[in-house]
Amino acid sequence: MTALELISLVTQVLFVGLFVAVLWHAIRHPTRARTDTALLFGSIVAVVVLSRAFQWLGVAEQPWAVGVLLLTLNVAPYAMIRLVDDFSGTAAWVRVAGAAALVVIGLISLVGFATAPVIVEIATIVWFLAVGGYAAIAFAREARRTRGITRRRMAAVAIGAALFIAAIVLVFLGALASNDTVMLSVLTQLFALAAVLAFFLGFAPPSWIRRAWREPDLRAFLERSVHLTGVADDRQAIADLQRAAADTFGASGAAIGIADPDRPVLRYVGRDGEWVEYPNDAFVGGRTFQAQHRMVVMDAVGADPDNAAAYERAGAHTVIAAPVSAEGRRIGVLTVYADRAPIFIEDDLWLLELLADQTAVLLEARALTTQASELRGREEAARLKEEFLSAAAHDLRTPLTVVLGQAELIERRLLRDPSAPVDPAGIARMAREARHLRDLVSELLDAQRLEQGLTVMELAPADLGSIVEAVRARHADHGVPLVLDGPDEALVASVDRPRLEQVIENLLENAYKYGADDKPPALRIWQEGAEARIAVVDHGAGIADGERERIFERFYRAPRARGITDTGMGLGLYICRRIVEEHGGRIWAERTPTGGATFVIALALEPEAPSEFVRHAHEAPTWPSTAGNEAVADA
Amino acid sequence: MPELRVLVVDDEADIRATVTAMLEIEGYDVDEAANGADALHAIEEHAPDLILLDMRMPILDGWGFASELRRRGHRTPIVVMTAARDAARWASEIAASAFVAKPFGLDDLITAVERARLQP
Repeated sequence: MTALELISLVTQVLFVGLFVAVLWHAIRHPTRARTDTALLFGSIVAVVVLSRAFQWLGVAEQPWAVGVLLLTLNVAPYAMIRLVDDFSGTAAWVRVAGAAALVVIGLISLVGFATAPVIVEIATIVWFLAVGGYAAIAFAREARRTRGITRRRMAAVAIGAALFIAAIVLVFLGALASNDTVMLSVLTQLFALAAVLAFFLGFAPPSWIRRAWREPDLRAFLERSVHLTGVADDRQAIADLQRAAADTFGASGAAIGIADPDRPVLRYVGRDGEWVEYPNDAFVGGRTFQAQHRMVVMDAVGADPDNAAAYERAGAHTVIAAPVSAEGRRIGVLTVYADRAPIFIEDDLWLLELLADQTAVLLEARALTTQASELRGREEAARLKEEFLSAAAHDLRTPLTVVLGQAELIERRLLRDPSAPVDPAGIARMAREARHLRDLVSELLDAQRLEQGLTVMELAPADLGSIVEAVRARHADHGVPLVLDGPDEALVASVDRPRLEQVIENLLENAYKYGADDKPPALRIWQEGAEARIAVVDHGAGIADGERERIFERFYRAPRARGITDTGMGLGLYICRRIVEEHGGRIWAERTPTGGATFVIALALEPEAPSEFVRHAHEAPTWPSTAGNEAVADA
Repeated sequence: MPELRVLVVDDEADIRATVTAMLEIEGYDVDEAANGADALHAIEEHAPDLILLDMRMPILDGWGFASELRRRGHRTPIVVMTAARDAARWASEIAASAFVAKPFGLDDLITAVERARLQP
């Protein structure tokens, strides 16, 4: 046996093996595509078997035998047209013309070879080049359209088809040339061998190759979605997961339904990014969730006519769905829609189940992350409350010690000598600490009432400038001058005047407490867009970056406040924030550009200031305004 | 009962004045200090028989003061005086003789002081 014969034999054995494999698939799970694949390789294998049989019978040279072989061989390009139709659809006339041409060329082969072999050979070459070439190009185009493993398999099919056609055309060119061309034979056999190997990869890839081909898809999906465990918004995370799943398949869309533990619904993220609920047996997704088994619906509109409009809107012709579950818990369902049927459905289903498993893992991880952070939040809240209670108790006990001690002293003195003189200093201490106690208690009650929403703001239009000025005036005898920097015209907002004064007073007291000894705090008021801004500026040590938001939390005491004994309950800024929020405004802390802390209150201005507040119009100073501004009011 | 010199250490002036008056009416001889550092000076000057010590104070707190006091070899009994819930634990941490939790009345204060004084 020559090397060439050995290659030929190997090629033929491989074609037989491939035929058996695709036939087995077609019988077990019959689909049109599988039947047509079996037809393609059936025709090739028939040629192989028949030509061996004819040689064995010694009739190989008979024109009728050659005709039968040609007829059988010509079925292969026709099967390819049918496969093109199965994979990507062809116009009806192409299929009809293909069938008609097969009949014509079959008749020519059968009856014409004896009389005009050259015409038959040329006709066969044209038939293969035209029909087979069309199919090979259509496969290649389909390969470019798809992605992942389907793309690789389609590319292998296109290469196999092109090589197969080249091999057959070379055979007939050799026959036409009619002189012995070894080169041509070698090329033919190599092309045929390469063709069958490519067909194997396309139509029946071994599982280790499939795994290798699927891996990049899976990795890409994981790389895209692994960060989603940290995305705060559930809807955002699920929308991203859906997109990643759809892209993995090259599908028109994907939907992840999340089961509600208490109600029979599946929650989806709609196109607008909001939650949408459907009964947990609606759509293919719902049916899959009920069955807890993957589902393939080739024609969703036909299978579920009630929801036809929804499927059409989603571009869902074929729908595949798999349950998302972890450790037996039903989490939800993953549905992928495509505008046409999958080519290699077993690969898509395999991938779908993998993605469903990964989705389950990601959703579980998200749930755990959320749970853990909620738990941490609760623990932190409990710890803060504990710390606060302990600090509050400490704060209350200290003045109480003075009150109790002084009272018992008076009692003891009177007991010993009813005419003993009063101790003015002791009584002053007692009164001072009792007042301190009263302030602490009212701060506690204030915070409690604000927390529970029991405090009702009595809002009325007021000139914010006059409110700030009133607070400033109360601190006029503070020793150091207090600067108020504001515009000339009235900035009118709807406020509860005593409450807003309380806020500014509190901020100002903090500014004195934590500010620089040699540089007094400043008050500023200005307009920014539709808002009035009031700022209390100090030049002290400032607030650490991480503390600026936390200092407004209930029970939170900034480290800088812990070392100072003359503090309140640590509720002051919380009370300020709640009062400002009750006004629909905002309050925040920022760094004073020259060092220190600046607290800013933003309140919406009245769209039209009532006439009694309108002063002469004047340009508002821009922030940050510095000394030398004409609108500075000295204390 | 022999006269007893007591050093009152607390950063709150009103507390110091009140405790001083409470002790004086019972016949004790009292000195004051506003924090641990001041108290260390007072120890050298007045050599008190007993120290009434607040724990949380600026500059040098109760713990710092107690360890420095022992390091210098003074065996003066200490009565911890605090508004915190951990009075008992803090007292044992610095090997104090007794503690008194704020707010306290005259009797509580004198009982704690006398217990510390009578301890061997």
